[in-house]
Amino acid sequence: MIAIVLVVEFASALAVTGLALAHERRIRFRALEATIRGHADSLVGAVQDSDDVSTKVMLDGTQKTLPKADLYEVRDEHGALLGRSERWSDEVPPELAPDRYAEFQLNRQTYMVLHHDGVRVVDPGTTGGGQTHLLHVTYASSEAHIRHEIAEAVSFYALTSLALLLATGLILWWLLTRELAPVHELATQATRVSVTSWEFHPSDRVMATDELAPLAKALGAALTGLEASFTQQERFVSDAAHELKTATAVVKSSLQLLSMRERTAEEYRAGLLRSERDCERMEEIVARMLALARVGASAQPLPALRTCSVVKVLREVAEQLQPIAEVREIALRLEIEDRLSTAPLDADELRLICSNLLLNAIQYSPNETTITATVTHSGLRIADQGHGIAPEALPHVFERFFRGDASRSRETGGAGLGLAICKAIVDRVQGEIAIASSSAGTTLTVRFPG
Amino acid sequence: MRVLLVEDELRLAENVATALRDGPGFAVDHAPDGETGADLASNLCYDAIVLDLMLPKLDGLGVVTRIRATGDRTPVLILTARSEPASIVELLNAGADDYLAKPFDLGELLARVKALIRRGKGIAHPVLRFADIEMNTLEQSIHRAGVAIDLSPTEYRILAYLMHRPRVVVPRRELLEHLYDYNWEHHSNVIEVHLSNLRRKLDAGSSSSCIETMRGRGYRLVSGA
Repeated sequence: MIAIVLVVEFASALAVTGLALAHERRIRFRALEATIRGHADSLVGAVQDSDDVSTKVMLDGTQKTLPKADLYEVRDEHGALLGRSERWSDEVPPELAPDRYAEFQLNRQTYMVLHHDGVRVVDPGTTGGGQTHLLHVTYASSEAHIRHEIAEAVSFYALTSLALLLATGLILWWLLTRELAPVHELATQATRVSVTSWEFHPSDRVMATDELAPLAKALGAALTGLEASFTQQERFVSDAAHELKTATAVVKSSLQLLSMRERTAEEYRAGLLRSERDCERMEEIVARMLALARVGASAQPLPALRTCSVVKVLREVAEQLQPIAEVREIALRLEIEDRLSTAPLDADELRLICSNLLLNAIQYSPNETTITATVTHSGLRIADQGHGIAPEALPHVFERFFRGDASRSRETGGAGLGLAICKAIVDRVQGEIAIASSSAGTTLTVRFPG
Repeated sequence: MRVLLVEDELRLAENVATALRDGPGFAVDHAPDGETGADLASNLCYDAIVLDLMLPKLDGLGVVTRIRATGDRTPVLILTARSEPASIVELLNAGADDYLAKPFDLGELLARVKALIRRGKGIAHPVLRFADIEMNTLEQSIHRAGVAIDLSPTEYRILAYLMHRPRVVVPRRELLEHLYDYNWEHHSNVIEVHLSNLRRKLDAGSSSSCIETMRGRGYRLVSGA
């Protein structure tokens, strides 16, 4: 930024200096030319009648007042030399064109020379109008001092420009530093944000800067969102680790218990069977965690084309779970309010929702009760006749790894992920999942949009 | 010895309880949540408490805090699936005595519980000696004057408790509390039978009885001389 301004300024300074050079040159040379002409004319005026008969005219001596450094020569119409300056040199070039200025080099100096033909009327007051003489005047003057003056003038311009350039640069730098300080401050505060420290507090100076306040606010909002999702992720990982470690501890302790001392074949068989069941539970936890991670990962909106029949899937799942329900003498009733109800999901996902909700209902139902699964116009509803969920636990049921009553759900083998998976799937299609519970039972309602 | 196990993962609790019963022959009570755990611990009849960290209702830290607030000095071993140093430091500072990260080694768990019980009773070595009786708690063997004595599990447990508290009068009630868990049907005369059997076996080759019965007060381990 500063560099661009300075470059532009430098270019204009160069241009100004160049123009000044040209202008100065023109003025000064004009003045020199005028001076030379004036001097030549005065030389013409200096010609007088001579006392010497042979020459008739001569210089009257006033030429002595002309600058000593100048070269001049005056000849009459016959080519006779009337006078020349003390420094006259024969190297002064002869006339090329009348009354034109020319330049030549002498003693390493540049001279401007004028060949001037002048007419001198001597004694005009006498009868006959005096005598008319045609005179050739050659007058040369050094350009050294005007070149020096031009150089001085130009260097004055150049120096002034340079000083201006410097001043502008400094002022710009100062201004920019002052104006950009909040930006640097914001950047410093932003770099302090890390995975371990999400603290982002833009200073008052940043917030007071109109150009920066929206940026700082946007950054703050983005960071808050990131922190929330990061914290959630972190909790999920930590919960998952806890869950898996506990499951591993079960398997390990079962096997170690078995090998603590010699046992009968019957005891070994029973122990191995228990270990196998423990392994299966761990497998289930892993599978559910993966399902949840997959739902979370494909967060992009789905093509609207994907739909499936709620009636078909719910009936299918209910049939699959029938044997589990029968063992506990629980009746699974399917009610259909709207045969054409559809869900904007693929069948596998809806199957996951249905089986999670129905399994939950079966797990929490006392023996010999009824579970009613209803296909509604906008989704489905599963109602059980269990003991219900404690009101303080209700807001947390959709959280990952949450268990209403740990001892009971551990017994039933859940990992606290079923409802979280359902919610993740329903949320993704902008649907709704709600839970209502009383001591007479729990009802879960799923509504799909549209 | 009687151990309280507070663990919400039922299968794990089952395994740990079985190991504690089968191995060192401890009586084990199981609490599936922190609230129950803290309530059971307040009965002050445990020689050690094995406590899970993540518990419903009241977490491990809360249980430790509550136990220690009542002045209970029962050793506490924490089981945790979390391994952040901060939470471990917090637990130890709250009064826990040791911790074990899940998944743990069952053998290590037993060794740590035994060590905690020993330490809790002011004993450093797993081989206990009183007068000419030597009890090796690792091999669960008893020698008196160099002669090996074969005891039934209950007899061994009675002697172990008395060996851990030599010369102290142990009331019958205390002995019962520390030998049996809550699932046991208490028949007060059962302990008399076991004690007389133990006495008979221990005193077989000796002139003096090593277990003194203080009528109405309890039992005491005394040196034969």
